[in-house]
Amino acid sequence: MTDAAARTNERNQIFRDLFSGKTPKRVPISNPATQDFAIQHAGLDLAECQWDLTKLEPVYDKFCQDFYTDTYPGGSIRIPSHYQILGSTPIVMSSSGFMQHPDVVGMLAEEYDQFIASPYDCIVETILPRLYTGFNGEPGKVAMTLAKAMRAQSDDLAHLGAIRAKMNAKYGFAGMIGALTEAPFDFMADFLRSFKGISGDVRRYPDKVAAACEAVLPLMIKKGTLPNPSMLGYTFIPLHMAPYLRDKDFATLYWPTFKKLVETLASMGQNVQLFVEQDWMRYLDYLYELPENTIMRFEYGDAKVIKEKLGQKHIISGLYPVTLLQTGTKQQCVDKAKELLDILAPGGRYWWQADKSIIHLEASGPVVENLKAVLDYVHENGTY
Amino acid sequence: MIDLQALTQAVGDLDENTILTMINDFIETNPSGEDAQKVVFACQQGMAIVGELFEKNEYYVGDLIFAGELLSKTIDLLKPVLSSVATQKFGSIVIGTVEGDLHDIGKNIFGSMAEAAGFDVYDLGIDVSPSAFVEKVKEVKPQIVGMSGVLTLAIDSMKNTVNALNEAGLRESVKIIIGGNPVNEDACKQIGADAFTTNAAEGLKTCQGWVK
Repeated sequence: MTDAAARTNERNQIFRDLFSGKTPKRVPISNPATQDFAIQHAGLDLAECQWDLTKLEPVYDKFCQDFYTDTYPGGSIRIPSHYQILGSTPIVMSSSGFMQHPDVVGMLAEEYDQFIASPYDCIVETILPRLYTGFNGEPGKVAMTLAKAMRAQSDDLAHLGAIRAKMNAKYGFAGMIGALTEAPFDFMADFLRSFKGISGDVRRYPDKVAAACEAVLPLMIKKGTLPNPSMLGYTFIPLHMAPYLRDKDFATLYWPTFKKLVETLASMGQNVQLFVEQDWMRYLDYLYELPENTIMRFEYGDAKVIKEKLGQKHIISGLYPVTLLQTGTKQQCVDKAKELLDILAPGGRYWWQADKSIIHLEASGPVVENLKAVLDYVHENGTY
Repeated sequence: MIDLQALTQAVGDLDENTILTMINDFIETNPSGEDAQKVVFACQQGMAIVGELFEKNEYYVGDLIFAGELLSKTIDLLKPVLSSVATQKFGSIVIGTVEGDLHDIGKNIFGSMAEAAGFDVYDLGIDVSPSAFVEKVKEVKPQIVGMSGVLTLAIDSMKNTVNALNEAGLRESVKIIIGGNPVNEDACKQIGADAFTTNAAEGLKTCQGWVK
């Protein structure tokens, strides 16, 4: 067996232990920097590299070499090609080359009943043509656009997959797979009604919002299902709207279908990783109700309180503030990592990740050196 | 005559039906511009209640967004009546989401609250370059510049914008407030802003303090 294969086996075992509630031999680490960061770290043009993926192999090689991580640092990637072909409005590239999600309206308030009656039909017939200009026009033209976009996406994914396989073979990362889905309420907000739209809807027609979340739940479960639940990996669910809701709206509109989603995925034998975005401290008692070993990567919160309330049942991650890497000294950055290790590692169920992804790199700034120092520190000192 | 206290309370409660009924009934009475201004003032006081409930964690961001929507609906209804009188403004603010960032929800909440509080708000939109901020500041000479962003890269764009204002000799003429997920005290110092906030209501108070 090669060294890299042995490292993969070792890392796979660490994550198998972690995800099943056993204490692994050390705290595993995922580099919070993403492909966007990696391109800038290689000194290349962000927009250009996302259009010409052949440039990415040396980018990833340098990225994997320079920063310690146990998982492949690909991050979630929005490839521009198929979005551009489809005339996407919900995912677009900004002037700086970053793919982003502006606040868009895919469904009008008066379309709730149509959506509730048949979410899939409503998405295909009404919502997609509104969100993607490429779905407007003659059927033949739409069919060609769809075919082109899917071909572009599958070519790009194949290319990225080949790079990933090479890096895994060279660096021996854990072999994890992932699926992505959203809490039904978040899906309604992010892609259908917009932040502004849903904020009015919860006051104007709460019953319809609740019914729509129920109606779309099966699609969200399907979207989050792994090809095979026994594979090492997880379903990633980035959480969004709960911190912006009143407690009672959360309890009646957000929580019920979200809980069903996580419970259903867990009952199929899958691990679920939540990105607990923004401030969920007032909802910790709810989170406690979720199935054992649900992975919760927190963006914000008091690590001690989180560990105390959830650390016996769930796997805690996140909380390391990436903005410190931009503003702090190396020592401050390492001290913060130590502080979190001391609180979160004892007793197990801790995975080192940061509070958010690092997408941007200012060449003259301290991020590269600080990030290296933190990742190395946790690698060398990450005992439970 | 419209019950101004009840209107203030309805705005504070975010009771859309009551607000719209009261405003429509009021407009049917053919009111004077001065009376309409009193109604606007009552709504502004209602927005102050919304801000207080937000600070007490009874309302959350979703409620602020809804409040902003209600208020702009109300002002739109009153505009024809208000056009006959000069409105008093407290100050002016240029706002925008900084270069490279497309997130505008926080900026929009702040903008609608500042407008409700009587500021002239010039909203440059999203992905705003430093030079666009500089040009607008030259043009409208605001007291305040508000920069917003959600991505960590926004910190660098904010710094670039402050540098650009400096180079144009405009930095001393304005107060600068930054807002959004990645801002904090360290970032504020590094950027060279005068204040930072992750809370639109609090940010508005800071701005009100500056123009007093």
